Amino acid sequence: MSGLRGGAAIVGVGTAGLGEAPGFTAMDIQALAVRQALDEAGLALSDVDGLFCANMSHTFPAISTLEYLGLRPRWIDGTNTGGSSFVGYATSAAMALQAGLCDVALICYGATMRSGAGRMVPAAEQPTYEIPHKPRYPMTAYAMAAARHMAEFGTTREQLAEVAVAARGWAQKNPDAFERDPLSIEDVLASRMVMEPLTLRDCCLLTDGAGAVVMTRPDRARDLAQTPVYFLGGGVASYNRAVSEMPDLTTTAAKDSGARAFAMAGLRPSDMDVLQLYDAFTINVILFLEDLGFCAKGDGGSFVSGGRIAPGGALPVNTNGGGLSFTHPGMYGVFTLIEAARQLRGAAGARQVPGAATALCHGNGITLSHQATAIFGRAETL
Amino acid sequence: MNHPLPETGPDRQFQSHVADGHLWIQHCSDCGGAIFHPRVLCPHCGSLALEWRRASGRGTVYSRADLIQKPKPGETEPRHHALVLVDLDEGPRMMSRLPDVAPEEIRIGMRVQARIAGDPGEYAVVFDPEEAAE
Repeated sequence: MSGLRGGAAIVGVGTAGLGEAPGFTAMDIQALAVRQALDEAGLALSDVDGLFCANMSHTFPAISTLEYLGLRPRWIDGTNTGGSSFVGYATSAAMALQAGLCDVALICYGATMRSGAGRMVPAAEQPTYEIPHKPRYPMTAYAMAAARHMAEFGTTREQLAEVAVAARGWAQKNPDAFERDPLSIEDVLASRMVMEPLTLRDCCLLTDGAGAVVMTRPDRARDLAQTPVYFLGGGVASYNRAVSEMPDLTTTAAKDSGARAFAMAGLRPSDMDVLQLYDAFTINVILFLEDLGFCAKGDGGSFVSGGRIAPGGALPVNTNGGGLSFTHPGMYGVFTLIEAARQLRGAAGARQVPGAATALCHGNGITLSHQATAIFGRAETL
Repeated sequence: MNHPLPETGPDRQFQSHVADGHLWIQHCSDCGGAIFHPRVLCPHCGSLALEWRRASGRGTVYSRADLIQKPKPGETEPRHHALVLVDLDEGPRMMSRLPDVAPEEIRIGMRVQARIAGDPGEYAVVFDPEEAAE
């Protein structure tokens, strides 16, 4: 079994500028999230000596971040795999902590997609042979995955809508969520078709927001202010950049990242109490439930039906309301870690999953291009 | 020693090959794999020995999506922009469009034929329904 299992723990989480933060920069709200995460852990910025950071607005995100925060980290990981980066960092932070490259690892992200640029900022480089056809990234790729899943397995728009309705149900229990009005299957189906077969309500929000996660080794974690949330396993996988290079649009690399994470954790899907799956679009949740082994390939649509992943359902998924209803500032991955930590501490308020001892976080990058999985647990799971 | 470069880059080679109005793709001389998008090495086996061959141009729609934009001022109908992924009979997949097919008529599984569109140096591959092609 890997030495990384139980080799690190989340000791602090923070968010800032969720929704709209006019007049603030990405670096401003990121700094506030970082302070909140450190404050609740009982740590200071001067304790941070490892930085794990990516974004879409800065050419050198980690360097701009360390300058703004006044950090002089002795270990930096700026691997940018898109929105999945931060879930991947859980594993690389555990690795750096266990190798002694750092003692306090900070994972952070901030963006002002809503009030700043006002639009999703496309990456500078785009696939050369797709661009002449004018795709609308990232929506085109996910609509194609949904269309293929529907054609191959009979997945319906109602089943996609179940994912959005479940997310809204959780968001209604989360005072920080951006969208909290009631939402029905009928509402989703009747919302404007933006990239057939996906409606507006099949697509994530575009908000401002920042998130931060602090990790350290278990010996130190036990002396800090919060109940430690232990890293049990992690894995990443990627096969392609462009969606036209994706071998099978109905099977993502989550199949491999998930298997790697479960192998390291020594756990199975049936051992998971709560899931945080990167829901940029409703189809994502169906794909990841299948690829991570919670149901058979092709069964994801019927699996989510009848409110199974909604509040009161058998499998709690995206208990903060997800990218669909909670927040989505361009890259969402860090928020999966934050919600998992809050659930495992028993500190999730009205949306708390009773007795949650294990949590799976899954990050998705670019256009189903990179997948990262991380599994966490309470002390009794070590 | 600095690795020698091919005479021209793969994107320029693609542009000069398709200038004859037909779709050309690379094939690996070692493993035989068909390759698109154009590259300097084979993504199947790593070989540098690639050759251009004229492709059949035939393929099957693997998936589709249709961007529906709100009507612009002065317009009454929403604008559609339909995109497809086409699996070439030779194997590789590419993103493209079916410019002469109404978005609602595009079906996953429909057979299509490649056509080279655009201006010299900026050619792109689009598709027509197979039966409509020559």
